[in-house]
Amino acid sequence: MIDRTFQRTPARRHRCAGTDLAGVSSAFATQCRVIRALMLRETQSRYGEHKLGFLWALLEPLLMVSLFVAFFALMHGDSVSGMPIVPFMITGIVPFNLFKETLNQMQTAVTANRSLLGFPQVTTFDVIVARGLLDVAVVLCVFLIMLMLARVFGVEWRCEDPLGALMVCGLLVMHGMGLGFIFASLSPVVPSMRQFGTLLFGRPMFLGSGLFFTAESLPTAVRDWLLFNPLLHLMELMRDRFFHEFATSHGSWSYAVTSAVVVFASGLLIHQAMQKRAVVGL
Amino acid sequence: MSGGDIITLQHVSKAYRTSAGVRCVLDDVSVGFPAGKRIGILGLNGAGKSTLVRLLGDAEAPDTGRIRRFGRISWPLGYSGGFQATLTARENARFVARIYGEDPDYIEAFTAEFSELGGYFDVPLRNYSAGMRSRFAFSVSLACNFECYLVDEALETGDARYKEKFRRAFAERSSDASVILVSHNEGMIRRNCDMAAILHEGRLVMHDNIKDAMRAYQLMQTRPRAAA
Repeated sequence: MIDRTFQRTPARRHRCAGTDLAGVSSAFATQCRVIRALMLRETQSRYGEHKLGFLWALLEPLLMVSLFVAFFALMHGDSVSGMPIVPFMITGIVPFNLFKETLNQMQTAVTANRSLLGFPQVTTFDVIVARGLLDVAVVLCVFLIMLMLARVFGVEWRCEDPLGALMVCGLLVMHGMGLGFIFASLSPVVPSMRQFGTLLFGRPMFLGSGLFFTAESLPTAVRDWLLFNPLLHLMELMRDRFFHEFATSHGSWSYAVTSAVVVFASGLLIHQAMQKRAVVGL
Repeated sequence: MSGGDIITLQHVSKAYRTSAGVRCVLDDVSVGFPAGKRIGILGLNGAGKSTLVRLLGDAEAPDTGRIRRFGRISWPLGYSGGFQATLTARENARFVARIYGEDPDYIEAFTAEFSELGGYFDVPLRNYSAGMRSRFAFSVSLACNFECYLVDEALETGDARYKEKFRRAFAERSSDASVILVSHNEGMIRRNCDMAAILHEGRLVMHDNIKDAMRAYQLMQTRPRAAA
């Protein structure tokens, strides 16, 4: 990691050089400052330019949920495995964005923010993390707003175990961020990385992660294969924690947690390994 | 370590892998940049001047060796670097203030005043001309009050009046601030600098006065292999 303490005034810098602890804490303070500034900047450029701004972030999942609710209500009635259809769709489609949107935004972070890497305090790590954190915050807000909206429009729901649901959200974020780090670090070197990522993690994950079905409802042969997908476990666990009416017999915490840790750790490791090369061609 | 240096390089090497093979920009260079001077760095196109500026400014790490800085160094000032083209000058100024831990209101006010951009201050940077862009970049960096300014080629943009304003602003600060100006243009170095270094084939040679540097540079251009 680049030595950030050089940015201080001379007197301060020498003090930092003397004690490692002071150096580390001042570097940490700088990093927090930089990530905060990047998040503000990102918010401005993403939501500040259009009149509707943040509303767009809400509109897309809102439309998606309405579409699926309408479709499934016509075909199967108003509940899936005992769960009311509207909260069922919301708890599938919206948290999935914690994975998908985070990955999408993070993977272009380095190529899109190249000009900012000229500032010595701004590292590739900062621009990637800033984007990820912003998206997690946005999607969580959207999640809450959608649940509130459902309540306002008279849909009854009660979250059985909010902490458990939050835990699932955390694991989804770890998957998204881990892959985001991998793609963001590799894409300056391998330009076709992005298309590859969309191909692999776009539609297939959307269709195969149980956003609009339960694992129980699948034929055994298909289910056995799909259960390799950790996101299907997470969706199962999400419904299990959220709904009183539903208990999963397929979602496994240990599989989901292991996968999240492995993906997240390998993301950080690959980023670390690629860090030097990512800046080339600035 | 001599006391009066703002930046020192100790056995610094930097090489790139490109499709045309390994390109060595710095090969075991040890040199000191004295504080309070205006120092030019001359080099032919492709000698690695921009890389050197990025190394000095800590935007990139050297392969081996150590670069020590004894003060606040600016980011490399130039035409393009450092700013988000979709954001306005006001938002960019506040961003710079935040990452340097300065007061955003002060930086914004100073930049607005000094850059004389007027109504353009609230227009996204992508609509700026090159001259306006560098005017903005220099104004923000002056607002941050660095002890050393790294300038990549772009000092002489904008109209004559504005050029003069910048030269005065830098001259005013040269008692406590240094300027490191990188260029392939001898004229620019001669007009703006007290001393100069020449970057050529991985070596950086410091000359204490401009005259020596110019002679060496001209020699190098006529006989690229022999000199430097």
